[in-house]
Amino acid sequence: MLIKGGEIASEQGAPVRGDVLIEKGVITEVGESLKAPKGTEEVDATGKVVAPAMFDAHVHFREPGQEYKEDIVHGTEAAINGGVTGVVMMPNTSPAIDSAAVVRTVLEKAREVSRIPVYTSGCITKGRGGEELAGIDGMRNLGVVMLTDDGDPVANPAVLRNAMEYATPFGMFFASHCEVAELSGPRALNEGKVSYQLGIKGTPACSEEICMDRDIRLAHATGARVHIQHVSSAIGMETIRWWKERGARVTAEVSPHHLIFNEEDIGEYNTHYKMNPPLRTSEDNAALLEGLKEGVFDLIATDHAPHSEFEKAQDFVSAPNGITGLETALVSLHDRFIATGLVGWDLVVKRYSAEPRRMMGLEPVPIEEGRTADLIIFDPSGETTFSRDFMKSRSVNTPFLNQTLRGRVEMVLRGDEVLLQREAS
Amino acid sequence: MARKDFLDIASLSREEVDLLLDQATPFKELFTRSVKKVPTLKGKSVLMLFYEPSTRTLSSFEVAAKRLSADVIELDVPHSSVTKGETVKDTVDTLQAMRADYIVVRHKMSGLPQAIARQTRASVINAGDGSHAHPTQALLDAFTLKEVFPELSGRKVLIAGDILHSRVARSTSSLLLKLGVEVGFLGPGSLVPRSGPEGITRFTDFDEALRWGPDAVYLLRVQMERQEAQYFPSVHEYHQVYGVTQDRFARIQGEGTYIMHPGPVNRGVELCHEVMDYERSLINQQVENGIAARMAVLYWLKPQTDSEEAERE
Amino acid sequence: MSVLLDEAAMGEAVASLAGDIRAVAEHGRVAIVGIRSRGDEVAERVSAHLTEAKIEHDYGMLDISLYRDDLSHLAENPKLQSSEISFQVDGSHIVLVDDVLFTGRTIRAALDALTDYGRPARIQLAVLIDRGHREIPIQPDYAGVKLETARMDHVIVRLKKTDGEDAVELVTTP
Repeated sequence: MLIKGGEIASEQGAPVRGDVLIEKGVITEVGESLKAPKGTEEVDATGKVVAPAMFDAHVHFREPGQEYKEDIVHGTEAAINGGVTGVVMMPNTSPAIDSAAVVRTVLEKAREVSRIPVYTSGCITKGRGGEELAGIDGMRNLGVVMLTDDGDPVANPAVLRNAMEYATPFGMFFASHCEVAELSGPRALNEGKVSYQLGIKGTPACSEEICMDRDIRLAHATGARVHIQHVSSAIGMETIRWWKERGARVTAEVSPHHLIFNEEDIGEYNTHYKMNPPLRTSEDNAALLEGLKEGVFDLIATDHAPHSEFEKAQDFVSAPNGITGLETALVSLHDRFIATGLVGWDLVVKRYSAEPRRMMGLEPVPIEEGRTADLIIFDPSGETTFSRDFMKSRSVNTPFLNQTLRGRVEMVLRGDEVLLQREAS
Repeated sequence: MARKDFLDIASLSREEVDLLLDQATPFKELFTRSVKKVPTLKGKSVLMLFYEPSTRTLSSFEVAAKRLSADVIELDVPHSSVTKGETVKDTVDTLQAMRADYIVVRHKMSGLPQAIARQTRASVINAGDGSHAHPTQALLDAFTLKEVFPELSGRKVLIAGDILHSRVARSTSSLLLKLGVEVGFLGPGSLVPRSGPEGITRFTDFDEALRWGPDAVYLLRVQMERQEAQYFPSVHEYHQVYGVTQDRFARIQGEGTYIMHPGPVNRGVELCHEVMDYERSLINQQVENGIAARMAVLYWLKPQTDSEEAERE
Repeated sequence: MSVLLDEAAMGEAVASLAGDIRAVAEHGRVAIVGIRSRGDEVAERVSAHLTEAKIEHDYGMLDISLYRDDLSHLAENPKLQSSEISFQVDGSHIVLVDDVLFTGRTIRAALDALTDYGRPARIQLAVLIDRGHREIPIQPDYAGVKLETARMDHVIVRLKKTDGEDAVELVTTP
């Protein structure tokens, strides 16, 4: 395939106009006015961005146990729909992914039904109960590198410390969901003006900040590598910056929704704005964006958390936490930040394509000669309407439901397989 | 333009508030007739959906509905926490099948009446949801105050107690602010939120609050049952520091300050026994006015017709 | 739009009505009850005539919004005002007073309202204007003026105290 005239995005600088020649799934040439061998399919990418495909290091596919919300096949199709060609699943399934047996089950299922590579994290503790350690070695042997009890923190610091001491020599790292359960209340929304108005006990930002601090210190004391998940608090982000400046082995992620939305968006108890950690203030939005631009955040991850409609139709406290994100992430980042000139494609490629892969010990997929093709074509002047029909996920719990945003994923190509191709709009 | 639902005070305009307060008076006058009933809602059904137990609010609504000749149905709902699987949608579907015209909901989850209102053609009246709102209480409170102070603007009302968990505090303060009343919040530091609404003076000292010169002191019931972590050391200490002790009552009496309480009263906690016989206690009027205020709300709301509902879907 | 009655004609109509009622009132105590709104102002003027003639009588006002039969069909309920019936209704002779008699439904509502206050010995009806098109069998005992109107016409009554002037206007719909 010859992709002509596109703006080729990379981690460095602004996108550069050029052609990309792909033969047998490998990028053989990148340059201007390329000539393709006879019979090569030509794709006109004039005015469009050709970028390395995205990688989401934080998704919930609900398989095994809650397949009515999502499963591996729907989740991976949703990923492709959003221009994502690799994911890391979270282990808070039912049963939890805390042993070789469950890891094997989900990875085999993924091999069977998924068109993109699927990785999984493993629990730190058995059943995410916070007491006994999970079957770490068995999981390691099946390729698991990330341990997390995501959904909850590890309440007992002694347990977390021992886990870190034990698993770090295996080359595994820890991802932390940070909060102090006793401070969090019903885990519904941020403690502040909106929680007062809506009459629901809020979760103060210090709950997340205290645990973030604790987990980083434990990691530092044990030599472990820790990755702080879904950061929502500006002050918490400063903790990460402080420790990075002192050489701690800490990485961190931020989600598109914590950059875009804040507690005011909840309005009249709209559960499409309910997740954990919660949306905080517009000051946090601004600070987190600056932190992303300054490199305090290593990567962007969606925390894609599908839930069924009837579950989300409950009252605000009872409704489960989380929104989907795989299909909306790239388009929403474009609509809110790239199209507005606040960030460039280099940042998005670095933080949503390259760094997540590096964190998992994988090679990034830049558009360079000799590399396997793993790319997307994105139309900045196109539009995407996130209707139920458009979305491939089993669940539609997203604040972008039925909204039209600027930008459109038009093609996803992996090797010699076209995973997705939409008509030019 | 009439509304379908009565869910909170925040969404009401000043005109709507004034209208409702005006309309409570004619309903109160009906109480002096021998026939206290009017046929206004004859044939309409009012469903009581009380997930939290409450005799006084429930019977107040019941009397209001019956005096308007409506049929009152009490739905037997579990008072324990809603079991998993029994979702709002399930409840609403049941209610739709019963073709209720008005649904009065009380629930411990904030926002639940909103969720029900979105999904049904019936008029939903919020009888208290979690810590969020209790709009009919606010109405009857304002109505009671207006009987004493026809010109409410510029008056001062001190709301005292567990503000943090109180839907009464939120709704009543919201309504009083709309009417130009100056509002103060008094309570233990752990129970008076810092991020409250603008324009409310925050006190943590009762005597300082009394020096502020309130025209009425509105005492909130101290919620003993909701403390997952202690907010104050003991009921005894609460009464000494934040209750109307005999000393404070003497000062209040001296100033002629009115006392209000949404009920039921915890004698010896929010107030000393003597307050119950105070001639400037408005507590009984509040109860009486509750029926008139609720009748005014039932008269004002308009459930959706079948054709409007079809359009909405 | 045409003026059916000007201030002078209105004055005559009120006087005529008052005269009829006075004749009854001289034989036994009556209670003049005006139906809000505007019927109450007419009742007030009738009452003023009686007082001038030194005839003692009772006086009250009735708001019939709560007794209307058409509330389900309205997008918004009418603004409710207070009724004032402070005399003993049992055994009384009531003369209901209204400004315009049209379909008769307002009067039906007023009768229902009155009977919830007690059991009058007799109820009579006095209206300033009878514009025809009855939908139920209700007829006035006394009418100031009878007007020929079409069913879809609007008859607008303005009274000094309520509206600033005395006039009756007719708006025809094509």
